[in-house]
Amino acid sequence: MIRVMFFLAAASVALLLSALVQGDYPVSFADVTKFFTRDPSLGVEVKMIVGDLRLPRALTAFAVGAALAVAGAITQSVLRNPLAEPGLLGINSGAAFAAMVAIVSLRDVRPGLLPILAFTGAMIMALAIHILALRRGNSSMRIILIGIGLSSLAGAGANLISAFGDVDRVQRAMVWLAGSVHGSDWADVAGILVWAVPAMGLAWLARRQLDAIVFSDAIVRSLGMPIDRVRALLMLLCALLSAAAVSVAGLVGFVGLIAPHLARRLVGRGHAELLPVAGLIGGLLVMAADLIGRVVIIPAELPAGIVTALVGAPVFGWMMWRRRYV
Amino acid sequence: MSEPRRNGSGRLRADNLSVAYGRTVVLRDVTLEIPETTFTALLGPNGSGKSTTLRAFAGLVRPSGGSVRLDGRSISTLPHRQIALRVGVLAQGPQAPEGLTVAELVQQGRFPHQTLFSRWSSLDEAACDLALSLTGMRDLASRPLDSLSGGQRQRAWIAMTLAQETGILLLDEPTTYLDLAHQIEVMELIAMLVRDHKKTVVAVLHDINQAARYADHIALLAAGRLVALGSARSVLTAETIDQVFGVPAMVMDDPVTGAPMCVPLSRAVPVRDLGRAS
Repeated sequence: MIRVMFFLAAASVALLLSALVQGDYPVSFADVTKFFTRDPSLGVEVKMIVGDLRLPRALTAFAVGAALAVAGAITQSVLRNPLAEPGLLGINSGAAFAAMVAIVSLRDVRPGLLPILAFTGAMIMALAIHILALRRGNSSMRIILIGIGLSSLAGAGANLISAFGDVDRVQRAMVWLAGSVHGSDWADVAGILVWAVPAMGLAWLARRQLDAIVFSDAIVRSLGMPIDRVRALLMLLCALLSAAAVSVAGLVGFVGLIAPHLARRLVGRGHAELLPVAGLIGGLLVMAADLIGRVVIIPAELPAGIVTALVGAPVFGWMMWRRRYV
Repeated sequence: MSEPRRNGSGRLRADNLSVAYGRTVVLRDVTLEIPETTFTALLGPNGSGKSTTLRAFAGLVRPSGGSVRLDGRSISTLPHRQIALRVGVLAQGPQAPEGLTVAELVQQGRFPHQTLFSRWSSLDEAACDLALSLTGMRDLASRPLDSLSGGQRQRAWIAMTLAQETGILLLDEPTTYLDLAHQIEVMELIAMLVRDHKKTVVAVLHDINQAARYADHIALLAAGRLVALGSARSVLTAETIDQVFGVPAMVMDDPVTGAPMCVPLSRAVPVRDLGRAS
């Protein structure tokens, strides 16, 4: 466990450093060292590229990945489905719909307002699913089915708006939704951390509940857990984490699905270890995806969400294939 | 917060208990006291309300009438955790996620003993160790559940319930789907827990003869009502078995233990001269 954490943390730092060095504008390791030691001899331009562009961008990518991975680990345990991911809770489609409405229909949205609107859309969606699912006990199957239903509805709404909207604005919305941390600044870093850090802390406090909730409702109840309440709170945490991620980065798929799987293979099912390790893996994945997207077709960029989808879809297929006899 | 009771049992009783799922009444007016530190078997045909009785005793279903009392307090007013500290439940055909090991499963039994900020203690560890050795699962502790045989898996689940350290154990069909050797193993384990560890055990069983041999008390249920309650000798007669199961049978003495033994009659297979039997 300690070794795994140490290795992942070291890998994250290494990746962060290479994210600061790599890119359209060449920056040397010496410059990066100078940046961190606040050496006055560092050029203003380099200082700006590292400090205002690449560092907040890499950190945002890491935080987005970590939030999605922890949200994914929670979703998989609460819904008792190893192929579940936060998107099932309708969070993505809620955020997408809100962003589409904001960018296409509203006049001149301030850039700072967009994440807040997306966050609100995601939370409203998660709450709606939950209220509908609660009416007769919030069993995991009900949550999944209602989530799928409402997501399609929101998807249809977003499509409707994009079909009749102004082409330029629709394209802006599409780019925003594609899942990119392009142009992330320190406000984005703060914007995600302010939600993600407390939510992750609470999730870790609920690690025993998460360990136990994987059994059937009857078993969980007989262990003394008020399951409906616990499930509602865990879903809320999950919604907060993914809404925070979506609001700064758009839709980054597969990370919430794959990171918890990799973590489980490394440290097993106990959430005390699973949650932090999944978080680190998720952070690494999105940071790596963003770095790859940034350097493969210089000077253009691939959004991180497209890279994770290109890598994630085959991995997902492989996971299904491995489970073919289950 | 009250200390969890370690070995002392608990008193469980149902008064005029009725349970309905939607409009279907599955249990009517059952009054049943579970004697402490004994083994009570619930017997009856499919759909007679055995499992529902057990679930009501565990506080898992809400009575539509009457009440279930645990140490004199209505179980529906007790917090889940307080019930879980006193009553352990083995669900019917329990499922675990793939890859879960026996040790990880058994540790879950400690859930009600832990609070938000408490750490895994030596007490927790000792309870798990004891549960593993009582069920003979110590050597298999690191094995994933899905790699075990049905009997071993069932023992692992019983170990989880034991790690909960409750005075009362409610077991829903603990022997179903097990082969004969494993059935006997589970029954012996239950008898040992009652005798040596002063547990109160209530189990839903299907095998009348195993119940007659191992259980101290038998509650016979049919169509949601309690038909008979008492020792095997007093409850298991040819009349009650015919009445409850609709199976004409002969009751004779088990040649090994002397407990009553039920042998169904047959229409299809020629019956030999029964002159000797009563």
